[in-house]
Amino acid sequence: MSFGPLQLCLLFSSALFCVGLMGALSRSNAILVLLGIELMLNAANINFIAFWRYGPEPSPATGVIFVIFAIAIAAAEAAVGLALVIAIYRHQRNIRLQEADTLKG
Amino acid sequence: MTLSFPQLLHALLPEASLVLGALIVLAVDLTIGRTQSPVRRIRAAATLGLLAVTMAAWHAINAGAEGSVFGGVLVLDSLTMATRTGVLLLSGLTLALLPGVLRLPHPAEYVATILFATTGFTLMAAAQQLLVAFAALELASLSLYVLAGFDKTRRESAEAALKYFLFGGIAAAFLLFGFSLLYGLTGSIDFMVIAEQLQVQRATPLLVVALVMVLVAFGFKAAAAPFHLWAPDAYQGAPPSSAALIASASKLAGFVLFLRLFWHGLGPAAGSVSTFQGAPGWLPAVAILAGASMLLGNLAALAQWNVRRLLAYSAIAHAGSLLLGVMAARVSGPGPLFYYAATYGLATVGAFGVIAVVDAAGGCHKISDLAGLQRRSPLLAGCLLFFILSLAGIPPLAGFFGKFAVFAAALRINGLAGPLGWLAILAILLSAVALYYYLVILKQALVTPAEPAQTRRIAVPRAAGVTLVLIALFLLLTGLFPSLILRLFRS
Repeated sequence: MSFGPLQLCLLFSSALFCVGLMGALSRSNAILVLLGIELMLNAANINFIAFWRYGPEPSPATGVIFVIFAIAIAAAEAAVGLALVIAIYRHQRNIRLQEADTLKG
Repeated sequence: MTLSFPQLLHALLPEASLVLGALIVLAVDLTIGRTQSPVRRIRAAATLGLLAVTMAAWHAINAGAEGSVFGGVLVLDSLTMATRTGVLLLSGLTLALLPGVLRLPHPAEYVATILFATTGFTLMAAAQQLLVAFAALELASLSLYVLAGFDKTRRESAEAALKYFLFGGIAAAFLLFGFSLLYGLTGSIDFMVIAEQLQVQRATPLLVVALVMVLVAFGFKAAAAPFHLWAPDAYQGAPPSSAALIASASKLAGFVLFLRLFWHGLGPAAGSVSTFQGAPGWLPAVAILAGASMLLGNLAALAQWNVRRLLAYSAIAHAGSLLLGVMAARVSGPGPLFYYAATYGLATVGAFGVIAVVDAAGGCHKISDLAGLQRRSPLLAGCLLFFILSLAGIPPLAGFFGKFAVFAAALRINGLAGPLGWLAILAILLSAVALYYYLVILKQALVTPAEPAQTRRIAVPRAAGVTLVLIALFLLLTGLFPSLILRLFRS
């Protein structure tokens, strides 16, 4: 079994997605979880670019345009996320997720 | 492919009026509102917001059903029109409940964020392409995270928003990754082209990965078990009016997008659940999600003492029934699903509206905080009776007919010869369980006397009172005449 550039790109993006998911699920620092989510989003962006670049025929720039939108959306998401991290910091004076446990049942 | 910009503008007029309305709300509050009292500021913001929503609804109805717009980016059909109107109605009712009830600083920002979220919902209703679907979903989600965390003075609000955001962010990443694989497999982001391509392709492992990722993401958004963990915390910690929007309009828009993406885009990979031999595809996976949500939601709700958490677990159970509606939609059309989601949304906005009014009058967390409501405010108690009985599915309220339509649609496909029929039977049995915990709420509100410390009468703000009565009348009307809604989908 031989790997072309597309396959290598997909392997890389899958690895990146898994690293991001591991980070998002295992970290207790809210900002590192945010970082994990960004890694996962960027893995998807690499997919889009790879599929567009190594696609079957010369195609419209759908993949690239999707990525440009996705980057903008990810930036907005990071802004909202950091604002919420600040909101939780105001109350508990740290951003450890283990201590954000007043809601349960 | 014809790209007509005037046509696109015509199709997007509802969204344009909502965004314009949000900007006007902010501008008015920043200029005139600064010198006014908080009560007048919030009244002005809510009135302007309601005007924008009304304009948007008028445009949404006028947009007509002309099919694909702008090269298939958006689709205008009867489902789009009904969903946009329904979502705008639910957001409008949420806005109308605010004056006199909302106790937050910055009311104009709150109203503007609700309008942005509504823009996302209406776009979700019309999206027919992966990029528009993703952008609309994120616009709605990001606004909802902000709304959940809007009460800066309460630690619970910030915590609820952070949890909602982290789960939602992971779900968004799953969705984007799944979309990227779909794009790679089919070379297109248009639902119709994806469906054509999947028709001729063999099922590949990559397609399975893509389907699983998209399903996980929609499971998160719809709060279906086992991806429901954020919902109880978000409902409990968020301000009640934010929780109302998260539970009603966002559910309706989300399920319509789910329906469109899965049946119009991924229909060829559906598989089958109408017989026990069933074909592999996404339908069996959705069936598992539906069964798990109904079981977990209904059983966990029995153990709750916090009324908002109880409503959250009941929302998970309702998500299971709604997934049944999604599965049955190929045969019976989107009518039953839309009817169920819209009337469920109405009842939920009402229930959270009552909670918001009681909360503003001195806190409403435990179910026992509702004790003696019938003495403290007969109006609220009477309205709550309508909303809770509709959620429980008691005729003649709309909730009963919603359940009936969805279960009948599921049973009509192949009777009890397949898992789908048995899921409907499970749902009917669990409705009896649900009746118990709904009646626990009603018992507190109508029978149990208030604790001595809480016998003060509740002054219901006029706008909130009128809105609650209006919602109750809607529930009764659509329950008595379900064809008012269902005939929209009869072609």
